[in-house]
Amino acid sequence: MSVVVETLAGMPSTAPLLVRAALTARGRRGSTVPERTLRVDDVRVDRTRLAAYQRLTGYDVGDALPQPYPWVLAFPVQTALMTRPDFPVALPGLVHLENRVTTHRRLDAAEPLTLDVTAGALRPHRRGRTLDVRLEARVAGELVWECDSVYLARGRGTEDAPRGDSPPKAPGGPAVAVWRLPENLGREYAAVSGDVNPIHLHPLAARAVGFPRHLAHGMWTYARTLAALGRGSLGPSTSRVWFTAPVLLPSTVELVRGARDDGVVLAALRPRRDPSNPQVLVAVEAPPER
Amino acid sequence: MTTTRRAAVLGGNRIPFARQFGPYAEASNQDMLTAALEGLVARHGLAGERVGEVVAGAVIKHSRDFNLTREAVLGSSLAADTPAYDIQQACGTGLEATILVANKIALGQADSGIAGGVDSASDAPIVVPERLRRKLLRLNRAKSPAERARAALAIRPTDLGIQVPAATEPRTGMSMGEHMAVTAARWGVTREAQDELALASHHHLAAAYERGFFDDLMTPYLGLTRDQNLRPDSTIEKLASLRTAFGTGLEATMTAGNSTPLSDGASAVLLGSAEWAETHGLKPLAWFVDGETAAVDYLSGDEGLLMAPAYAVSRMLARQGMSLQDFDLYEIHEAFASTVLSTLKAWEDPEFCRDRLGLDAPLGAIDRARLNVNGSSLAAGHPFAATGGRIVATLAKLLHEKGSGARGLVSVCAAGGQGVVAILEAA
Repeated sequence: MSVVVETLAGMPSTAPLLVRAALTARGRRGSTVPERTLRVDDVRVDRTRLAAYQRLTGYDVGDALPQPYPWVLAFPVQTALMTRPDFPVALPGLVHLENRVTTHRRLDAAEPLTLDVTAGALRPHRRGRTLDVRLEARVAGELVWECDSVYLARGRGTEDAPRGDSPPKAPGGPAVAVWRLPENLGREYAAVSGDVNPIHLHPLAARAVGFPRHLAHGMWTYARTLAALGRGSLGPSTSRVWFTAPVLLPSTVELVRGARDDGVVLAALRPRRDPSNPQVLVAVEAPPER
Repeated sequence: MTTTRRAAVLGGNRIPFARQFGPYAEASNQDMLTAALEGLVARHGLAGERVGEVVAGAVIKHSRDFNLTREAVLGSSLAADTPAYDIQQACGTGLEATILVANKIALGQADSGIAGGVDSASDAPIVVPERLRRKLLRLNRAKSPAERARAALAIRPTDLGIQVPAATEPRTGMSMGEHMAVTAARWGVTREAQDELALASHHHLAAAYERGFFDDLMTPYLGLTRDQNLRPDSTIEKLASLRTAFGTGLEATMTAGNSTPLSDGASAVLLGSAEWAETHGLKPLAWFVDGETAAVDYLSGDEGLLMAPAYAVSRMLARQGMSLQDFDLYEIHEAFASTVLSTLKAWEDPEFCRDRLGLDAPLGAIDRARLNVNGSSLAAGHPFAATGGRIVATLAKLLHEKGSGARGLVSVCAAGGQGVVAILEAA
């Protein structure tokens, strides 16, 4: 089984793709994901955009790419892949469930990247079907970063669908930080990431798909949490994130952090008003800094 | 503790200096200081290590950055239990931080420490005019709706506006360049001499880069690998063609070419006791010998704003029983070319040395071939608080190259009529 690699002439622009995604959302069907990798070569980091991202997500403005940043760079490519006519699931309404990223070495903003996006299989889930998407970043042919995302396409579920790894139990204890997430956070993040999904922008758009208010971007909560855990994930490391409940805007969330266990640090975000209901879990495996 | 021990300069690191509104326009003081610190930590294997103390500062600092240095430490790979504090002594900040760290090590109160500094002329805090600020505070204090309405109505359109901090002396309203122009005229410093010094600074710094001198003293940042202000191909003709920026008439000799540009950057220096260096596998580059600060009365017009180092050096030499000629290298911060030249003239002047410094004989001339041999602020740029760390690290490495016992003098002038000077000796 060989995957066709299709190299795009340049970075696609997201806005028209998202319009197409919305217009073609109905009528997508099928259960096979086309065997196709979309590739963009020579992706350059715009330092002004990177600095804005770093400021919004709590990183220092610097040369090392935050671990989730190639995901942001690849977002237009991922969108292009999912809006192809033969793609079986609709992009609007996809729910990001989890993500696993491995950085093989520190990525420098000066390095041009080759980004590959490949969609994997559709699998049954209790609340619909899940879709795997794999992103890879290369520098001069060397695989430097890889990311596996799992999305949920909500729909008729399969009650007895095999459950994947359940997320680890959230660490308890007192908060190590309290973040007040402003109402405009989704719009601010959309501006720096280009991910203009309406459910992050305005309460009305979120209500249309069944949420009480608009939501923080999962990839923002992920990046903000990684930034709070130190510099470990800037170097060779693996991190995982599970999005277990939406983070509504505006709201106040608490960061809780577990002790380093077997080289892994586990952290969670939980609503200040309902600490028993964690929203985001992040595990980072990085060599100790000493 | 009654005995003291020697503190060693073990290494240094800085980010290349950028011009105002250049590649670091989006970077904050904390971002830059963290980058300089992190490079130092990486190069000396200090990740996860608790260092005795980190001392740094910025001259232009936002009030939210009250714990700037501590925040930079927490953002670095140093152990989170490394204490830190901020200082500010204008352009003397970096060298003063070095003196403070060295003194604690000498007294046995710390085994190691990092001294540094950072400044951004681009990411400057914006200040509202004083009248508006007072009215806004009043509005904030107002309790009843009527009080609030009154306070709000007191704000007039003419109160609105923003002020960007400038290098102006608060008590004289004169910029540093205007002050320096007065001093330069008093000492008869010529335009040609200033341009020659500026040219030498660029050529020396370029040569130092060419021979890889800065390879272990610098971490690239935001795409810069060299100081942005450096003009390796500058010529005396180009410098002579620039219009004067400070002073008036025939006495106007100072240009943008022989004055430092507003800059962004950060630097850090690692110091430690001989024992600490040994256990960490580090080699002392130079010993910290002595430091001195001085200030002058520039308000009465009795002395030039940037002449305090001339006094500080004289006092330090007397304490050490040394002469001005006892040094292998001199690092005199080039705030302006005319600052360096006025200071040198003052040291050679019998009247100045007798009347001002109380000396029987002038301190005398120095061998100019030993002055700022790897360039200085005119070429590198001058992010105020970062300059001291740049100079200390550069001089320590230069002295180490010369061999054990070589001595170097550092002199840095600062706003407010102050000066900070120090002596290093090759380890």
